[in-house]
Formats: sequence, structure tokens, C-alpha cells
Amino acid sequence: MTRQDLTKLTAIFDHYPTDAGSLIGVLQDIQREFHYLPREAMTKTAETLGVPLSKVYSVATFYNAFSLTPRGDTIVRVCKGTACHIKGADLLLDQLESGLGIKPGETTEDMKYTLEVVNCVGACAMAPVMIVNNKYHGNVACNRALKLVKKD
Amino acid sequence: MVHITINGKVVKAAEGEMLLTVLKREGIDIPALCHHEAIEPTGNCRLCMVEISRAEWEGWKKHVTSCLYPVEDGLIVNTHTPEVIEIRKTIIDLQLANCPDSDVIQKMAEEYGIYKTSYETVPEGDNCIMCYACTRICEVLGKSAISAVMRGHKKVIAPPFGEEPPDCIGCLACAQICPTNVIPWTDTDSTRTIWKKTFDLITCTSCGKAVITKDFAEYLMAQRQIPKEYFETCDECKRMATARKMGEIVTKAQEAAL
Amino acid sequence: MRIDSIAKLSQWRQECQAKLAAQKRKVLVCLGPGCLAGGSDEILEEFKRIVAEKKLADISVEAVKKTGCHGFCARGPLVVIEPEGIFYSKVKKANVAEIVETTLEKGKLVEKLLYTDPRTDKTYTDYKEIPFYARQERISLRNVGQIDPDEIGEYVARGGYAALAKVLTEMKPQDVIDAVSQSGLRGRGGGGFPTGRKWATCAREESDIRYVLCNGDEGDPGAFMDRCIMEGDPHSVLEGMIICAYAVGSREGYVYVREEYPLAVINMQKAIDAAHECGLLGANILASGFSYDIKISRGGGAFVCGESSALMRSVAGEVGEPRAKYIRSVVKGLHDKPTVLNNVETYATVPVIMEKGADWFRSIGTEKSTGTKAFSLAGKVRNTGLIEVPMGISLREIIFDIGGGIPDGREFKAVQTGGPSGGCLPADKLDLPVDFDTLTRAGSMMGSGGMIIMDDRTCAVDVARYFLNFLVEESCGKCVPCREGLYQLHKLCVKICEGKATENDLALMERLSKVIQTASLCGLGQSGPNPFVSTVQYFRDEYLAHIRDKKCPAGVCRELITYTINDKCTGCLACIKVCPVDAITGEKKKLHVIDQEACTRCGSCYAVCNFDAVDIV
Ligand SMILES: Cc1cc2nc3c(=O)[nH]c(=O)nc-3n(C[C@H](O)[C@H](O)[C@H](O)COP(=O)(O)O)c2cc1C
Ligand code: SF4
Ligand code: FES
Ligand code: FES
Repeated sequence: MTRQDLTKLTAIFDHYPTDAGSLIGVLQDIQREFHYLPREAMTKTAETLGVPLSKVYSVATFYNAFSLTPRGDTIVRVCKGTACHIKGADLLLDQLESGLGIKPGETTEDMKYTLEVVNCVGACAMAPVMIVNNKYHGNVACNRALKLVKKD
Repeated sequence: MVHITINGKVVKAAEGEMLLTVLKREGIDIPALCHHEAIEPTGNCRLCMVEISRAEWEGWKKHVTSCLYPVEDGLIVNTHTPEVIEIRKTIIDLQLANCPDSDVIQKMAEEYGIYKTSYETVPEGDNCIMCYACTRICEVLGKSAISAVMRGHKKVIAPPFGEEPPDCIGCLACAQICPTNVIPWTDTDSTRTIWKKTFDLITCTSCGKAVITKDFAEYLMAQRQIPKEYFETCDECKRMATARKMGEIVTKAQEAAL
Repeated sequence: MRIDSIAKLSQWRQECQAKLAAQKRKVLVCLGPGCLAGGSDEILEEFKRIVAEKKLADISVEAVKKTGCHGFCARGPLVVIEPEGIFYSKVKKANVAEIVETTLEKGKLVEKLLYTDPRTDKTYTDYKEIPFYARQERISLRNVGQIDPDEIGEYVARGGYAALAKVLTEMKPQDVIDAVSQSGLRGRGGGGFPTGRKWATCAREESDIRYVLCNGDEGDPGAFMDRCIMEGDPHSVLEGMIICAYAVGSREGYVYVREEYPLAVINMQKAIDAAHECGLLGANILASGFSYDIKISRGGGAFVCGESSALMRSVAGEVGEPRAKYIRSVVKGLHDKPTVLNNVETYATVPVIMEKGADWFRSIGTEKSTGTKAFSLAGKVRNTGLIEVPMGISLREIIFDIGGGIPDGREFKAVQTGGPSGGCLPADKLDLPVDFDTLTRAGSMMGSGGMIIMDDRTCAVDVARYFLNFLVEESCGKCVPCREGLYQLHKLCVKICEGKATENDLALMERLSKVIQTASLCGLGQSGPNPFVSTVQYFRDEYLAHIRDKKCPAGVCRELITYTINDKCTGCLACIKVCPVDAITGEKKKLHVIDQEACTRCGSCYAVCNFDAVDIV
């Protein structure tokens, strides 16, 4: 980690009481700042909060919100909620998988795109829904998906 | 003191005692894979389920894990109803699909007349039944070097990042408590390896056999104030030494008596 | 401004009301999740820009407001002009100038943006008359879509925190518990547990510390009521929690909100800060001597964390694994202290009960399920959106009268309620009254309020497979029946979808389901087989078609269908362009053909064809 990264990390730690109860909050802030959980940040979290590293690791791997590998510049999330499923989210995902050449959870080699599947984002009325870098797209026709992604 | 009825027989038990303890004391055979005296019960394996009821429930009954259920006065317990047997068989059947190579599970399955699982064998199975005994004992020891990682069916017991666990002291408690013996470890003359981490061994000053890892000895010296000399000889040689000393005392006494 | 007396609160309320009354005209732009997906944030900015530019007499920039979900998401983006309640639907940024000019300046209607009911061809101006809204009764959603959630003053103007004032001055904690008990309020998070009884148990426990928590996890895929309340009317949730805390004697609590709802997190936090500043939260609330504080705990996106013991472990910073225990969390909950956990909608309902009384609440709904319930309507239904109806209303009224029926001329097949823990009910159950006990008896459950409608193009086996897959991923993995059992159940279901299963497999699934239901540690596993059990109960023929005839009657299961092109094909090349594996050949204006060997049955051609020329057999 660069010195700058360490400063960011310290700023996050300063926000929380140094006990085990802060673990998830701290990891969420790290995820938000770095878009994934760098290994060194997890080790530092364990030391700072006085929590065993194994516990940090099990929390980091338990929750969907955390990613242990760096993610791409554009994060494409396809909703797999029930409404989206019956309105053809699978087809949409197929198109994105073949178009970007990656499976959900993966990042393209050039680090441009990460494809993710999420469980219901609460916009079921507009199913199927796709979120590109936090912008919601509703009623996405499967043949339009890739174009929308590349446009953003 | 409370009274409970187990399979029709009234039995005395201490208030708040866990039902499984009472059942075992009564000599009733209840399978229980994740239960161990040294650790708090967590109810992972679900094998110890029994049927409970109470007179005032008017025939209503439910199934509970006996390892976690504190007894109370008036409890009516049935340990071998067809439903209970069906639960046990199904769970063992599922475990057999998950751990096809585990002899402990195979033996258990045979006892229930299952020779081949009804399900598809889990391709990524590693014979771990996910009872958490290892992580719990590690926590009890104050180290928590390993933990359950991931979620759902992908869950495995592993050290952080799947690499040498920094907090591990090579005490082998996890490997020894494991009911299905799936945590591998190896010793050479002077080293011990577990979870991919290799430790220096303290060897017995009299016979040269492994006594304990240096890290574990240091941990015990610091945490439990155990003197350093304690770790210089192995248990067997300690016993021999004691026996020898006893022998000497006896001989001396005999000599004195003569 | 610190509100430290009841008198000050009333005075402040009058000021807020006067301020709102001074705004003759108001433009409400829905920024709910659905409308936002249609770009309503840009519409809001455009309104503000144009209104500021034009300097109109009747309307100021402050009167252009954002709101939470207005309800009729299918017609979004929505813009409502008050006081008339003019309802503009499917608004685009390009329409804004016209709305300002025609409606705000000239007082006329932009006809093309008004809603026309496709069944009656009737056009509506005032949204309150549209059947979708007219049949609803809104209690927990009373302010959602009506106020700017960031303005505590708007909540107060509509009577907000009056219930709290009443409780703190006129009622003893026990009176509050009695009122909640008498109202018959049952938890809106799924279980339907009597709220009053829960509060009473917690209050009775000897303890120095008690916690009051709010469950905003809403992990049920297909539900968005709680999200819309937290985003659109956060103060109603806070007020309900404060009242509960007063009743049970708690000094601190948490709102557990899932990380996937960033706006809900932001709006709840803003509301907490605003309430703090006014002295409605924190130390010595309204100078009553009672103190209570709320913090937000962000969930990490795990369905199981909606389960009470898992949620409490997650709040404590741990892995969200349920704890097996035969001591309930009202007695030993967060940090082993007595804890009340209620759902977002439950809390949002409480202030209204306090104000209008238990008898009034009982007069709505049915005897055993009092009051109203919010639902999110989604799936194959015309009027997808957020609704609230009195308990006891029939499924038919919800789906057809409010929901507008099934689009695209298709047939209703089933409605899924209760999410992954619930089940599917077929057409002959449409006249069942919607209440906790009836739905459970029919093999489904009320659940938290997700209602997914399915048409004849939805495969019942595929739906079961979908939920089982969801649960296999979301199971915490701690106990064997759930982790291994649901895994095997899913495998077997996939086998059916692929046409590889036998009737023995189906029998095995039914036996396994029973054991998972009785032997699992927490509610996730115990209810996990429900989607399978209920679909096999009502759609056994469809299962058998997959097994015996190797056919998927709904045309969904990929392994059992083929796509072919019929002679309606005009040779437009559209399908050839979209096929990801180049399986379609043909020339312009000539019949296209699908190479069955190469086809992956992705359905792209079916979706893109404008001439109904692609058949699924
Ligand atoms: C697997 C599982 C998931 C749950 N998810 C939620 C949820 O997302 N929101 C919720 O309010 N309750 C959920 N519940 C129910 C809660 O455990 C709890 O009963 C509820 O929050 C109590 O509040 P209520 O009485 O107001 O409904 C879930 C239960 C289980 C077993
Ligand atoms: S039933 Fe499922 S989610 Fe619940 S404890 Fe067991 S494994 Fe975890
Ligand atoms: S011994 Fe009780 S659940 Fe395993
Ligand atoms: S999001 Fe606008 S109406 Fe629901």
C-alpha cells in the first residue's frame, strides 16, 4: 500500500471505536474507498480493532458486499431478483457474459469491466434491471444491454 | 432437580442441564458429531435431534437438538420415533454424499442401513462435515487461527487467505478434536507441519521424541505460567521418571526397614 | 432549532403547515427506485432549472420537490402537480418545458402524459381517482411519495411526531404496550408475531440495558416496500422506534439497512441527524426525561441476516450466522440483552395507531389480521408498483383491480408471496382473502410483502429451481439439513428442468423437503423447501411433463425447448444480428433458419422479433 492509501485507511479507522463491533462498518468503508478489500488493509484492520485475522477473513468472505479482488473501472451489476428472473434476467446476463467475455464475479483483463450478479436491488417494477456504475437501467431488452454498458 | 420422561421412563436431571447429557447418562444411543465436552454446543450437525412434548401441549410436539436444549420439569422426550429416525437417516445420507471417503461417516451410515448415498456425490467434497469443532477449540485456546470462510455450500474451514495462519501455534487441538479426522498434519524429527505452517519442535531431552512446538510452549509459558522445564521431556519420559523416582523411594524405604 | 416542549412542537407544526400552504402550486417528482431507473433525477433538475429561469408567480423553486416512491412505478417516471393532483406518467426530460408552459403557466393539461386505463380507455387527471390508487388504503405509506424525505418539517406538517408527543405526555409505557396489543398489530416482516406481546415480554425482563432494533434488511428478492419507506418517509420509522423504546425502556437501538440500498442508508442517516438536532432523538426527548438514540448498522448483503439472531450477530460485527438457541431474542438478544426487533413497516405503522387509537386500527382489516399491509407488485402484471391495502382483500382485487391484470394478452398462472420462504398460489386461490393465517393455510405465506405475478410463460419448476438456487447461495452454511439438503434439492430440481429426472427423484425431493423443514436450525432452512413444496402441490402436472414427456409446457427450461422460425418471418435480419452464437442463417427478405445444433436457446431472437415469427416448442 502506498503512503496515501495508508492515510485513507487511518482516516477510516478514526471514524470507529476500536472494537470488534466496528468490523463490518470498517470493511464497508474500505470496500467503498478501494472498491475491494486489499489484503494489507484486512491485516491492518485485524491489528487495529484487535480482532483475529481469521475473523476478519471470514466476515470478508461471508458478505456479498465485499470483494477480495480488484474490480474494473465500470461495474456492471445484473439484478437476479425474482421479478427480474421471470422477466428474463438470465438472457440479459448471457448477453453480457458473451459480450464482455467474463463470468459473473470476474473482471476483464484490461480492468475495464467487472460483471456482478446481485440479489434484488428493489427496483422490481422496472425488471429486468441492470446497474452500471450505480446508474439504474430499467426494462433492459437483452440485445440492448451490451450497448448500454459500452456507452457509459 | 427436575423430572423428565424419556421414552416412557421418568428420569431425574439437574435444572438447566443439556438434554443430550441426560440422554447419554441414561445410556441412550444418540449420534452427535458436533458435540464435544470441551466446547460450547452450536448445533451444526443436527444429528442429536429428538422429539419433545409436554402434557399441556395436548399432543403437539416438536423436534429439538438435544445438545442445546436445557431440560425443564415435565418434559416428555422420545428419542427413537419414526420421524426422528428419518431425520437422522436423511442427515447421514446427505453427509455420505458430502464426505464419501470418511470412514467415520461410512460406519455411521452402515449402522442405519445406508450403504450408498441416495444423492449425487458432492464433487468438491473434502470430507469435512462442517461441525466447527476445530474453530471452536481454537477459539477456546485463545488463538482463533482458523475460521469458517465463505457462505452456504461453498463454506470451508480454512486459515486466512488459505495460507499459513499467522496465529497458529501448532498445538494440534483442531486435528485432535476433529470427529472425522480430516485435518492433516505431519511431523519430522524436529519439525511439525499443519495448515501449511511448519514449526520447530522441542524434543525430549531423554528420548529425543517430539514434545511440543516451540510456539505452543512459549504460549503456555506466557499465558498459563507453566515452567520451561515442563516442556523438556515428553509425557512418556515424565511418567518413566516419576516411576523411577517412586521405585527409588520404595527401595530406599525397604532398605531402611531392613 | 431545539423542540423542548409539546407547545413548541405544536407551534413548529403550525409554522411548517403555513409554509407549505404558502406554496400554492407544487411539483412532486418521484425519485423512487423505479422512476430513478427511468431518469427522474434529471427531470427534477430540469424542472428546477426552468422554474428558476421563468420566475413564475405561482411557484417557487422550493416548491419543486423530490419524493419517495409514489407507487405506480410501471408508469414512471412520475410527476404530480398539486393541489389538483395532476398525474403525469412516463415523463421524459424533454416534456418538462411543456409541462411548465402548459400546466404551470396556463393552467392547462398536457393530455398525452395523462394516464389512460387500457381496460376502460378512461383518461384520468387526478391520480386519486385512478383505480390503482382509489382502491388502496395507506397507513404505513401515508407520506411516501407525498413529502420530501429530507425535510423533517414536511413530516411534522403532516402530523409527524404528534404521536410521540402524546405518548410521552399522556401515556405510561404500559399504556403504549396495551394499545399496541389491543390494536392487534402483527409483525410485517413475515412471521406475523403479535407486536404487543413481543414488547411486553421485553419490558418484563430484568435488565439494565434493552435494545430496540429495526429490521431493514429486506433480503426477499422481489420486495421493495421497506426500501421505499426508509427512502421516502424515514421519520415515520424513527418515530415508531422511539415510541417502542419508551414502551420497553430502551436507551439505544440500531436500524439495520442493507448496503444494496444506499439511498435508504443516506436518508435514514439524514433523518436521524435532523431528529437529533430538534431534540426528538437523543438525550431528554421533548424534555420528558426519556432518552433514546439510534445508530445505523449497514448490512453486508446476506439474506440470512434478516433472521433475528443472525441480524444481531451482524450488528455486533460478526459473521451473520444464526445462533441455535431455545431462548428467544426478546429475552437474550443483542449482546445477550433483551431486544425488540421489528420490521420497518411495523414501526412506520405504530405512530398512527398511537394517534388514532387501537379501535380505529382494529376496524380495518380482519379480526386476526388487523390494519393494512404494503405489497410490492412485480412480475407479469400491468401495474407494477408499491401498494397498501386493508387485510382481507382478495388476491384477485390486488392483482386485477389494482394491478390491472396480466399484460400482453396472457393468462394468469400463479402469484408468489413470501419470497424464498413462501409459495405460489394458482388461479383457483385468487379469491382467498389476504391475511396471515389464510395464506399460510393455503401453503404460502404473507411474508414481508413481495408479490410476484406469473403468467403462462412462467414455468413452475423453473421458479422452484430459481428460489432453491437463491437459498443454496444464501444459506449461511452452518447446519447440515440446510447446507447439504437444499444443495441436493436444488440439484434434483435442475435435473427435472433438464429432463433427466425420474419420478423417484421427485419422491426423494418430497421426503428430503420434510426433513429440511423440521431439522434446520433457523427459519431460512425451515422454510427453504416451501417454493418447491407449494409448486409441486399446485403444479404437479407441470413437474410430470418435465419428467415423463421431457417437455416444459411454459417454454422456459432451455434443455427442453427449441426455437424455430415460422413463415411470419419477413427476413428483416434482426435475429441474425442479435444471435450471440451466429446460429441463424438467411438473407434479407428471405425466411431465416435456426441451426439447432449451434443454438444455445438464449432467446435473443424471440425477444427481438417484431413479427411473432419465432416459436418456442
Ligand atoms: C431467513 C430469514 C430472513 C428474514 N428476512 C427479514 C427481512 O428482510 N426483513 C424483516 O423485517 N424480517 C425478516 N425476517 C423475519 C425476522 O427474523 C423477524 O421475525 C422480524 O424482523 C420481526 O419483525 P416483525 O415482528 O415486525 O415482523 C427474516 C427471517 C428469516 C428466517
Ligand atoms: S438453516 Fe440454513 S441459514 Fe439457518 S443456520 Fe442452518 S445453514 Fe444457516
Ligand atoms: S450434536 Fe447436537 S447438533 Fe450436533
Ligand atoms: S418509483 Fe416512482 S412510482 Fe415507484
